[in-house]
Amino acid sequence: MADIEYLGSRALLVSGGPLSAPHLAQWLERQVLDGVCDVVPAAASVTITFDSPDQCTTAARHLRPILEDPALETAASDATAADHQIELPCCFDGPDLAEVAETSGLVVDEVIAALTTAILRVEFCGFSPGFAYLGGLPSMLQLPRRSRPRQRVEAGSLAIASRYAAVYPTSTPGGWHIVGSTQAEIWRTDRTPPALLRPGAQVRLIDMAGDRGVESGG
Amino acid sequence: MGEQHTSRAVIIEEVGWLTTIQDSGRRGYASFGVTTSGPVDPVLAGTVNRSVGNDHTATLLETAGGLVVTVEADSVVACSGHIAPTLLRAGERLRVDIPTDRNFEYLAVAGGIEVDEVLGSASQDSMSGLGPPVLQPGSRLGVGSMLGSFIAVDQLVPARPTTVVRVWPGPHLSMFEADAFDRFCSMEWRVEAPVNRIAARLTGSAPERVDHSEVASVALVLGAIQLHPDGAAAVMLADHPTTGGYPVIGVVEHDEVRIIAQTRPGRAVRFISAGRDRIC
Repeated sequence: MADIEYLGSRALLVSGGPLSAPHLAQWLERQVLDGVCDVVPAAASVTITFDSPDQCTTAARHLRPILEDPALETAASDATAADHQIELPCCFDGPDLAEVAETSGLVVDEVIAALTTAILRVEFCGFSPGFAYLGGLPSMLQLPRRSRPRQRVEAGSLAIASRYAAVYPTSTPGGWHIVGSTQAEIWRTDRTPPALLRPGAQVRLIDMAGDRGVESGG
Repeated sequence: MGEQHTSRAVIIEEVGWLTTIQDSGRRGYASFGVTTSGPVDPVLAGTVNRSVGNDHTATLLETAGGLVVTVEADSVVACSGHIAPTLLRAGERLRVDIPTDRNFEYLAVAGGIEVDEVLGSASQDSMSGLGPPVLQPGSRLGVGSMLGSFIAVDQLVPARPTTVVRVWPGPHLSMFEADAFDRFCSMEWRVEAPVNRIAARLTGSAPERVDHSEVASVALVLGAIQLHPDGAAAVMLADHPTTGGYPVIGVVEHDEVRIIAQTRPGRAVRFISAGRDRIC
């Protein structure tokens, strides 16, 4: 059963329940609700914003019994089937790759193998337009952010921090460990939708340098 | 149209402080990390727009002052610093002074500014740089011909500013001491410098956090109040990030966020409870 609460007078916060945040967001987007501005998944919740307080209240009354219904779980499998699968060609040439290997007690090739065998999933976006938080990072690569953030991280940089991997969609300051780069167009405002990596999408990193002779299992 | 149309333009002579182009903002892209933007004070922006006959949400300039413009052809313009609309002659300079009783002023031109939209809006997001190109001396902004109806000048005076705003309890209240919301509302908070379009930082005596477990990133909405580790309260404004990992103690009533955005640094803000125990 999911919880629903007001976030001010024009937004609802939905959390808990059987669905992951991206799937819950997809399900909420399919509900017929008046005056919806945005449906925004985050780490463990989804927020819906409305044009007016009345529309917000009406939606809350409509959604509450549905969110309490065990049948909501069925919607999960439907949503899962529709997930996008994206392969991201990457060069593992990041300036922090060696340090990441050392900190996690691995050699560089083992870091690359761990990253390319992981099935990552976009949990939510934030920080900057098109910046997707990719969950599913192997636990040995989960490191705290750099103590000194960089003033500029180039667009296309593949980086890791905490539980997540991400590709910087535009050049911004950043405190994550840069392990590689991709030429894939992560963010284009003249494309619909503008973001390549959308909540719920499954992502695999492909090593452009090819076979490194490392066992990919494990 | 023809020559007459193409010669209607606003030229930026001096950019000034925090000057951006704004319309009603973007919707539908927050799940990709794109914030809403739009004027930090939509009421004042709407009033200035209406005074030159534009729709409330016509594209206009927002500035913290120091903006100087000229027009290529005689144009009716209005600035919130002057209130009454005026006829600006071609080549004549108009300066928007740094305000003394608020933070942001608006400059509207009859017909509205016309620039290429990005993701359905002409608004410039000061955090990500999304939107039309950043303004610089010499920037030429087209002027449209969409006019609404003129309104009487006596309707232009904006409501008297107040610094008491209503706040709803936030989702992370349970991470703080038992009476945290009452404490938060009984405190006096002061606006910190510098001002920006992203969040207003307030200094006060923050309620004590008792649960120090990691906060799962949550979507931020306009007016959400984060409590930062250094004790400051950050009220989310028009260009706020779409998600954040600091606890949210409350949410300022939507239409009153502009009051905080317009409160000068050093001045006090007070919160009153908008209500509580609302069950969906």
